[in-house]
Amino acid sequence: MTDTPLSLAGNANRTASLAASWPRLVGLLLVALVAGFALAGPLLVPGDPLAQSLIKALAGPEAAAPLGYDHLGRSIFHRLASALRLSPAIALAAVATAGLAGLALGTLAAARGGWTERALVTLADALLALPGLLLVLIVLAIVPGTALGFWAGLSLVLWVEFFRLSRAATRETLASPAVQASRLLGFGPAYIFRAHIWPEVGPMMLTAAAFGTATAIMAIAALGFVNVGMRAPTPELGRMMVELLPYWREAPLALLSPVVATFTLLLGLTLMAGSRSA
Amino acid sequence: MILLEADDITVSDGPTTLLQPVSLTLEAGTPLVVLGETGSGKSLLAQALMGTLPPGLATSGRVTLGTHRLETARAGRFRPLWGREIAVLPQEPWLSLDPLMRARAQVGETHRLVRALTAAEARRQAETDLARLGLDPAATQRYPHQLSGGMAQRVAIAAARAGGARIVIADEPTKGLDAARRDDVADLLLQELGQGGGLLVITHDLELAQRIGGRLMVLRRGEVVEAGETARVLAAPLDRYTRALIAADPRHWTPRSTAARAAASTTASTSSGPAVVSAHGLTVGRGGRSLIDHVDLDLRAGRIFGVTGPSGCGKSTLGDVLLGLVPPLAGEVRRDGGLPVTAFQKLYQDPVAAFPRRLRLGRTLADVARRHGAGAGRIDALLERLGLDPVLLERLPDAVSGGELQRLALLRLLLVRPRFIFADEPTSRLDPITQAQVIQLLCETVEQDGCAVMLVSHDAMLIRNTADERLALGRPEGAAEPQPEGARPEPVPA
Amino acid sequence: MSALASRLVQAVMVAVLIGTATFAMMRALPGDAAWRIAAGRYGYDNVNAQAADAVRQELGLGGPVLPALGRWFADLARLDFGTSLVSGQPVIDEIGHQLGASLQLAVAALLLSLLIGPPLGILAGLRPGGVLDRTLLVLSTGLKAVPQFLMALLLILFLAVHLRWLPAAGHGEARHFILPSLTLALGLAAVNARIARDAMARIAAMPFYRFAQWKGLSPRQALLRHGLRNVSVPLVTYLGLQFVTLVEGVVVVESVFGWPGIGHALVHAIFSRDVPMVQGTALVLGLGFVLVNAGIDLAVRRLDPRVSA
Repeated sequence: MTDTPLSLAGNANRTASLAASWPRLVGLLLVALVAGFALAGPLLVPGDPLAQSLIKALAGPEAAAPLGYDHLGRSIFHRLASALRLSPAIALAAVATAGLAGLALGTLAAARGGWTERALVTLADALLALPGLLLVLIVLAIVPGTALGFWAGLSLVLWVEFFRLSRAATRETLASPAVQASRLLGFGPAYIFRAHIWPEVGPMMLTAAAFGTATAIMAIAALGFVNVGMRAPTPELGRMMVELLPYWREAPLALLSPVVATFTLLLGLTLMAGSRSA
Repeated sequence: MILLEADDITVSDGPTTLLQPVSLTLEAGTPLVVLGETGSGKSLLAQALMGTLPPGLATSGRVTLGTHRLETARAGRFRPLWGREIAVLPQEPWLSLDPLMRARAQVGETHRLVRALTAAEARRQAETDLARLGLDPAATQRYPHQLSGGMAQRVAIAAARAGGARIVIADEPTKGLDAARRDDVADLLLQELGQGGGLLVITHDLELAQRIGGRLMVLRRGEVVEAGETARVLAAPLDRYTRALIAADPRHWTPRSTAARAAASTTASTSSGPAVVSAHGLTVGRGGRSLIDHVDLDLRAGRIFGVTGPSGCGKSTLGDVLLGLVPPLAGEVRRDGGLPVTAFQKLYQDPVAAFPRRLRLGRTLADVARRHGAGAGRIDALLERLGLDPVLLERLPDAVSGGELQRLALLRLLLVRPRFIFADEPTSRLDPITQAQVIQLLCETVEQDGCAVMLVSHDAMLIRNTADERLALGRPEGAAEPQPEGARPEPVPA
Repeated sequence: MSALASRLVQAVMVAVLIGTATFAMMRALPGDAAWRIAAGRYGYDNVNAQAADAVRQELGLGGPVLPALGRWFADLARLDFGTSLVSGQPVIDEIGHQLGASLQLAVAALLLSLLIGPPLGILAGLRPGGVLDRTLLVLSTGLKAVPQFLMALLLILFLAVHLRWLPAAGHGEARHFILPSLTLALGLAAVNARIARDAMARIAAMPFYRFAQWKGLSPRQALLRHGLRNVSVPLVTYLGLQFVTLVEGVVVVESVFGWPGIGHALVHAIFSRDVPMVQGTALVLGLGFVLVNAGIDLAVRRLDPRVSA
């Protein structure tokens, strides 16, 4: 049978993947928009995110500050651009660390089995029981330097997901007849990783990375919002919102700018990750 | 008495016609078998008669059922007939029972909700139904995962029939069953027919058709190619395709061993040469429990060693032990030490699962060729020898038909010049004609390349007509039938 | 049995992790920590070098690491959580006061989310690709992209400040529950609606669900008798994992709304480097997760006979 309807099935798959990919494209576009603003904005309109001018406190937009001024007379535009470089950079660094560690440990655990696997799984399960924000808070209190603390704490929280995903996929793949066949045909571990494991795990890692980046940015902003994250006067998304909240009637645009930027960035990342439930 | 009459049923997917106009009548007491390979449209026909076609497909035709006159295009009208007029037997009874509900309740709820009996009456009736089908009272209180396949089949039949329907439609009721269980199902179906009911069986299985008897209709690519008394059609087919289909049944193959033996005696082949793989006092099993005790085997070049037996008897495990993939429980396996480790290969039951899922086939084959220093010309030569189109190399494994992919799997093995091939049910998922082709190619490989082959199959006739030596295994005592994958709880996404 | 044993191992590991982390936090306290703590306890006028030394001794701030770590874990094993460095009250009493308020909030949020999410998800899953399914996908994707603090901010601005329907902060009356629990519930519902939707769509496509209708059951009967029970298995299992999200939400939302619960206390304790309080609250949250999940393991076992087999 299989001979005739295959071409049909092939077409259906292609349309399905195209339909599934348009939210990802929109997501990519939103993220690119925010990144473009953060990177190119200050080049187009030069300015200092820290320079105060109390006379201009809560003033509206003007050429030098297209989004107006905050309560201390600092340019929202430049503070926002700076904030949108800071937490995504920390998030990406943490996701890269966590992704590499999780992938390496996950495949190791699945390939070695035995005590290696049991120990790593026990550790991951224990970390899973702890709220991520709590771990980040504790690490922040131990590690000197807030950015470094966020990177370390978020890496510690995020590797668990990469570990679980890559271990589960690797286990399943290694137990498949396809891998058994490749071994019988004389291929070694490097080929099995390249031909069998990575094609399965790779796309999952990208999805998890998009989710992880969103989680990390949310965590940094949430802790900023409750005053235990980045210190003043560093521009940070959550902190900007909490600072501008009391002046929302006088300067709604000032509060709205970080709110909209944060939502756009997180929505973009969520869309890029796809409609996976977890 | 005519129970069901269908006129000019068609099914199409956009411009593609999947089922040409088909008409049939179902009489009380005479079963009707619709026979066809995958893609013949036989399941679509059944679905059109039940009003369960997938939404994207267009259909036309009329169905008369007693006083009901329906059009297949208006599928919603069929729904009130389900359970009351038409009982549908599912393909896999195990997966058709609610995993969270006890067996008796699944039958009882039909009595209660469809026939409006009281809860107590429904329970009693369900017990009576199940007892009549030979299920002991303790089993009726079990959950589906605690039932054997045969019990699940009985529960499904009782549940489907409880609504009082006189017509039973069974779509591939023996999918994946071994011979003993298949005959068991056929007898159950005939027993159900006994009370003047109608029975429509959709199958690809010639032996099931034979056992069911009655009338037969052969479908090919959406067209009826032949119809008539089942016994007559099977004994003296008129149509060319029906003849090919019947000839492809392993029972009708020319036994290979006589031909091979004739060849061997003239060319003094290696049939009496040293064993490529041999086993002494071998005991194999899974999970510490032995399935096969103390066997001695010698697998020699140029010969096919056939192993047959019901599912769960340990025949596949035996092959894995010979390859060194699973350790034996006792005894020893000796593989010819002068050969490279890659001289020992395996051909899998499900070829899709045996290839890297996301790599194009050409890439996988090229990797194997490079690893073993075979020139690019070797792949082309083998493609031609196995009758494969080079276009297939551009595809992913799941975009190639089962028969083609199994031949590509054989090609991949031949690239490493194997001396021993363990063929684990290599054709059990293929249609009869494709199966005959693949087995033929495997036999040619044995003769041309002088491999030793251990061929495992649940089909005793296939082994009898293919193998030079045979080992028949029985179901080990106390061993439960294995459970299908669906009987386990699914992992929850985390 | 083995599931419960592995939960026990998980609980011990959680305690070890938190013990180690808070010990490290203690050792990383800035140099004048002992002075500050002593001041907190005895008042600034009464602090002298001796008092600070006594505090340093007591908390194991100085001296070699390993014996100090040993003492730290010995206290932990005796369930001696010490006293708050800020208030001087036993940690266990402080937590006892705050836990109730947090539990009330968490339970209210959970119930609210279960009222919103799964019913919508099940309806959407019955018709995959339908209008409701697509609307729900857009809504839940949008909601998932709104962090809890931002949700709190938006709800405060809109419902409390703009419409003046509800109080923005406070605790004690029923109306104070609405904003914080709604904030938490919307985030949870966005996720459990998706879980319910995917589970329902998967189950509706399963052979047993079709077979139930072929037996003659109406769509409604099939849903009630075979759909809901099967959907509840993944949903309940997932609730266990959602507990972490809930706790994180509680930490943030309590701080935003000034809710006198354990999350609020945790943020305060971190801010003032009150390590015994951090350790105590973290343990309660971590062990709470293990306990909740052990309960869920048992519940799933009751729901699904295949699990105990």
